[in-house]
Amino acid sequence: MKYSAERCGYCGACVSVCQKNAIELRETGISFNLKCENCNACASVCPLGALTFENH
Amino acid sequence: MKKLKYDVVVVGGRIGGSVSSLFASKNKANVLMIEKMQEIGTPVQCAGGVTDEVFKTLQMKPSDCHVTSRIEGADVYVPDGRRVRVADEKTKGYILERKMFDKHLAIESAKAGTDIMVKTRFKDLIMREGKVCGVVAEYLGETVEVEADLVIAADGVESTLARKAGLNMVKIPEKIFSCAQYEVVGLDVPSNWLKFYFGEQVAPGGYAWIFPKGDKVANVGLGVRGTKETAYTHLKRFVSRVDATPVELNVGGIPVSGPVDKTFADGLLVVGDAAGQVDPLTGGGIRITAVCGRIAGEIAAEAVKTGNASEKFLKRYEDIWKEKIGKNLVMSLKYRKVLDTLTDEDMNRLGKFAEEHDVMSISKISALKFVGKNPHLLRLLKEIL
Repeated sequence: MKYSAERCGYCGACVSVCQKNAIELRETGISFNLKCENCNACASVCPLGALTFENH
Repeated sequence: MKKLKYDVVVVGGRIGGSVSSLFASKNKANVLMIEKMQEIGTPVQCAGGVTDEVFKTLQMKPSDCHVTSRIEGADVYVPDGRRVRVADEKTKGYILERKMFDKHLAIESAKAGTDIMVKTRFKDLIMREGKVCGVVAEYLGETVEVEADLVIAADGVESTLARKAGLNMVKIPEKIFSCAQYEVVGLDVPSNWLKFYFGEQVAPGGYAWIFPKGDKVANVGLGVRGTKETAYTHLKRFVSRVDATPVELNVGGIPVSGPVDKTFADGLLVVGDAAGQVDPLTGGGIRITAVCGRIAGEIAAEAVKTGNASEKFLKRYEDIWKEKIGKNLVMSLKYRKVLDTLTDEDMNRLGKFAEEHDVMSISKISALKFVGKNPHLLRLLKEIL
């Protein structure tokens, strides 16, 4: 997933829907680990559009 | 590495965390609460509406320091703009200044004896033989190990803590309200009335709201589900109708799936958004979290006293909260299901019907007549009854 730290409101909605425990919420942002499978669930609930599907 | 020992450690310092730590401390447990943010109560992820009942549960009085306005009732707007007015004893309440309210709760908890660490992020659970025995956290880059008889997970919708204990916490995207809200200045609305707006144009899968804070200040926001456009895009469109200046932007995800399957484990209790303790119809969580947080705190203290934080003992937390609010949640879930199947046209018909009757005292006969004219709504009615 492509993550825009500038758009992120660090609300954690993305973390709540991640099946793979691939996202960690920090004080003012998130970080992805290698478990991410680009399922797009996080992007679909992000209120600010900080997450977008990345085409490899 | 710093090592600490407490009876109870609470992860998360918002309403769920502060209320459970408050009632655990009041009942003589030695409690630590950790909060990842450096300021308790920020960023706000809530519109701040509560009913009078919340203050009774918390054994507190509303104060000008954390309450902005008194609410008498609500106007619900269906898609065609028709208004349904709802007002009775149950709709009476307040709009909270959440930053101040959350801080106030934390202060009350500290006064009752809770130790609090801010800017302290949960990293991992300490587990022994399948039992939760504490947490590993990070404070300013330093690792802190906190041993505890019992851990309370109040870490919000994103709850990673309970997942680590093996509870199924992952939410389905279709059952998350994706929310965005502006606090705006210059909106001339009555300070004692909430406004709700429904419809595919305004807020698909959810609704928009205006919660007045008095003196032309209001929280204007919306929650949506399953949309291509973001909640923020919908919000921009919604506020463009009015001439008002934002002074704050809030975002968040609200679980409207009903509570998670299990809210306890060996040495662990889960409260608040983490546990899905949110009204699935409205997305409101303060009242339910206040009730559940209080029970969690009391049960935690009892577990410490009796030296028994086993899964078997902690089950009583879930038994008690389900007894207190479980029925309401089940009803709300049914209403949510029904609402999800209504088209804009259905809502308009319901709005027209409600407009022609006094909505707080619609007789069974006139309701039946209405359903008779709209047979496809009868099936939905059966779901509720």
